[in-house]
Amino acid sequence: MQLSKITAIAIIASSIVQAENYVSVEFLQYDESDSRVSVSAPSLSISHDIGTDYNIKADFVHDAVSGATPAWKSDTGSGASSRDDSSSSSSDYSYGKQKFNEERNAGSVLLTKRFDNRDELYTGVDYSRESDFDSKSVSVEYMHYTDNSHNQSVSVGASYAYNEILSYDYYDTGSGASQKETSSSINAEIGLSQVLDAKSSLKVAGFVISDNGYLSNPHASVIRDYKMSNRRQSGDSRPDTRLAYGADVKYIRLLTDDLSYQIGYRFYDDDWDIGSHTINNDVYYKVTENLTLGAGVRYYAQTEANFYNGEKDFFSNEEFASSDERLSDFEALTYKGSMDYKFNDKVSFNLGGEFYTQSTGIDATLFTTGVKYRY
Amino acid sequence: MMRLVLLFLLGVLLMGCSGKKVKPWEKENLAQDIMQYGGLHPEVKKFEAHVYFSKEASRGGSGVGGGGCGCN
Repeated sequence: MQLSKITAIAIIASSIVQAENYVSVEFLQYDESDSRVSVSAPSLSISHDIGTDYNIKADFVHDAVSGATPAWKSDTGSGASSRDDSSSSSSDYSYGKQKFNEERNAGSVLLTKRFDNRDELYTGVDYSRESDFDSKSVSVEYMHYTDNSHNQSVSVGASYAYNEILSYDYYDTGSGASQKETSSSINAEIGLSQVLDAKSSLKVAGFVISDNGYLSNPHASVIRDYKMSNRRQSGDSRPDTRLAYGADVKYIRLLTDDLSYQIGYRFYDDDWDIGSHTINNDVYYKVTENLTLGAGVRYYAQTEANFYNGEKDFFSNEEFASSDERLSDFEALTYKGSMDYKFNDKVSFNLGGEFYTQSTGIDATLFTTGVKYRY
Repeated sequence: MMRLVLLFLLGVLLMGCSGKKVKPWEKENLAQDIMQYGGLHPEVKKFEAHVYFSKEASRGGSGVGGGGCGCN
């Protein structure tokens, strides 16, 4: 093997992120069963090296979301959405659908600085805007190689996000008045990457997430005092702090010259009593130099929040109450398949499909397709 | 649980100290497309992560970057 090729491989292999210049266009179509939620999302990604020491990566995505999510609905209403129902002691309630349409535009920029010893500093900003939700965040992460062979690296990172949420009082007074709420989130993570041998590596991370502010779902509601004369529909109400921690482990191995396998496990726990376990498995098979196929299965299980209940006759005057089924006890499975075809060294095409099924009754399909141009 | 995680981290650190060092020119396999965490297309992984963020109540462990969303 020529020395130049050895050097090139060494440089590529030593980097956590393979820097390259490319423009990528992707399209996502997400559809839930029973016409609940549909999302169409075109996106654009650009990665560009500036000399040998810097890389800048920018992502833009536009989400068009529509559908009808489950929500408590007054049976005595005229068929209008539950948002239009004010409190009424004569109403009965059932879990109906709440129609909605939403658009989201989001962008992010990540600047990577590479140092002489190949350590890397990542600095990022993210922005996301919806009609009733704005989010801005900054992040910084430093990756340091602990040995000259670049077999082990540690990384330390943190991010801060500030969110503005527009909530509407549809339930408690029924006025419909809007109010701007805010929340913030700090995410700190420490990671370790280890090359185990010439065909396998391991990545371990521990993280802490602290959320503060308005953490309720402004679109969700609960029924209070259902068995009393003053039964009423009331807004979803959650604690204004949430502290979570967890760990993530990923292992990847080349099984044959053309077949790789990666497995990941994430543990998560928070002070809302939500705990989760996630196991992710993926295999990639290089059928030819141009064609790569992928397949995977993901398993997810979580416990419910201590203020969650999905029954309409449960809540009375509790400070915190939610019937949002995303805070419930459930399991989920994802089955994944993908295909990547390289037309030549510069242009590649990818296609992917996933089926997501949750024990709450949600089934969803996710299709992605895109083209990447390397230059 | 956290003790188990710390023990595991310590084990990985020791494994890195005691194991045979892989030389840079032995990393051709590790540099392959199919050997990258997250697969061949990180953009698709971002879509996936967004779906899970909107449908599940836990997050974290995949880096500190990424913006918020009103979907959860």
